[in-house]
Amino acid sequence: MMTKLMNILKWPLVLVTFFLLYFPIIIIAILSVNESQSAHIFTGFTFKWYEEIITNSSLRTAIFNTFLIAIISTAISTVIGTAVAIGINANSKKESTKVLMLSNIPIVNPDIVTGLSLMIVFSFVRLKFGFPSMLIAHIFFSVPFVILSVLPKLRSLDKDIFYGAVDLGCTPMQAVFKVILPAIKTGIITGALIAFTMSIDDFVISYFTTGSGFSNFSIWLYSRLGRRTFSPAAYAYNTLIIIGTFTTIMIMNLKSYRKERKRN
Amino acid sequence: MDYLQRLSKPYKWIMYLLVGVPIIIMILLSFTSTLGVDFSGAEFSLDNLGRLNEPVYTQAIKNSLTLSSIATIICFLIGYPIAFMITKIRDKYKWLILVMVISPMWSNMLLRIIAWEQLFKPNSLLNTIGISLDLLGTRSAIIIGMVSIYLPFMIFPIFTVLDKMDKSLIEASVDLGATKTQVFTKIIFPLSISGVASGVMMTFLPSATAFALPERLGGGRILLIGNVIENLFKRVYNYNLGSLLSIVIILIIFGAMRIINRQEGGLII
Repeated sequence: MMTKLMNILKWPLVLVTFFLLYFPIIIIAILSVNESQSAHIFTGFTFKWYEEIITNSSLRTAIFNTFLIAIISTAISTVIGTAVAIGINANSKKESTKVLMLSNIPIVNPDIVTGLSLMIVFSFVRLKFGFPSMLIAHIFFSVPFVILSVLPKLRSLDKDIFYGAVDLGCTPMQAVFKVILPAIKTGIITGALIAFTMSIDDFVISYFTTGSGFSNFSIWLYSRLGRRTFSPAAYAYNTLIIIGTFTTIMIMNLKSYRKERKRN
Repeated sequence: MDYLQRLSKPYKWIMYLLVGVPIIIMILLSFTSTLGVDFSGAEFSLDNLGRLNEPVYTQAIKNSLTLSSIATIICFLIGYPIAFMITKIRDKYKWLILVMVISPMWSNMLLRIIAWEQLFKPNSLLNTIGISLDLLGTRSAIIIGMVSIYLPFMIFPIFTVLDKMDKSLIEASVDLGATKTQVFTKIIFPLSISGVASGVMMTFLPSATAFALPERLGGGRILLIGNVIENLFKRVYNYNLGSLLSIVIILIIFGAMRIINRQEGGLII
């Protein structure tokens, strides 16, 4: 009975899923080439909103800030996260569960709780709201993702590899840089990629920890919703990002496909 | 090994501070009346606790719990079969389909909410094909938005668990005479509960605490607890009542986690 039910429901379910996930993105793409500024009517095809990404100075600054924060926070949190993961891996089971539980808190916590907590701490210690506070916030929520992707690689590594290197005359520092880091490279890269995407996409935590007019793309967008200053250039920017990610994925896919064919 | 062990120590203390201190401050703020987080001249007061009973707040908490529960159930009903189907795809295409499921998340979340908002208006692009949804400001609008945005968070953890599952268990049960339905209800589903649990957490918690989504799709008529808190902190600057409501959210999180963990244990046994 169950298999029958599954067979009947299969395609409707796939269709509903595709619709739910992709309908908004298709609408955004259509609106990005819509001549009219109002979103309820399609008056003609245009690329002027794509031009406006560059000419609209407030949008340009917001996009610049988004990438600035994402690049710096990814770099810092990748270093911190990798170091902490190595530390966790070297510690006793009890200690490492404790640290892991703490580091999971920002992942499990809804954004609004994380954002509010940081905002309260920052205003308590009188940190300047704006670029520095937002950067610290982004590092705070990125580090756990780096830890989570580096740790499995470390766990599968032979624990004695570090001792071996030290016995053979490496300083502990050299052992980490020449032996451990190369072995966990893929985990570090995955972690950095996740951190970067989380940072680019973040709205809620940034919204609560920013100040003095510093805004990333999401905050720029939110402050203009339903106002005259809203520009469809936002749709254009998003469409470019989507096209960019899809092309990257396709190229990566094609490359691995070719590699496989060569091997066979 | 001592050298490596030290690497996680500072992080541990910073996390204790960044997680613990705000909760302590929030509890202090909840029972005082202050200006922002300035505690000079703070007075003890239970006013906020009384205001928690006001219909605005009770309704917001109720809305949050019901709407996000419905959205989570729908996500599960769609997400589980989809995750199951993906595990059946040949390895070469599996990866591609997974990317298809995750890639909408690279599109800005706010913008996707706006896209739904535009479609739910009585006058929308859909008029050109003769449809007018006119859903803005309804519960259905919020639920559709939530499902659309959080569905990948349900599919992914369930897929991970199903894909890693030991296939020999299924073969063994078939050999021992289990029907397909029995294989599913007695082997596959119980083994995938941990994935379901994290999927439920990852859809329920963010949807229950969202504020941009209900603000745009609820048309200002339906408030969730996130809207109330955002309003208190960012617009009215009432940190005291805001903190109390945040504590309520944190309690809801703990409650949800406990229920899910208990369910998990119960279902496995």
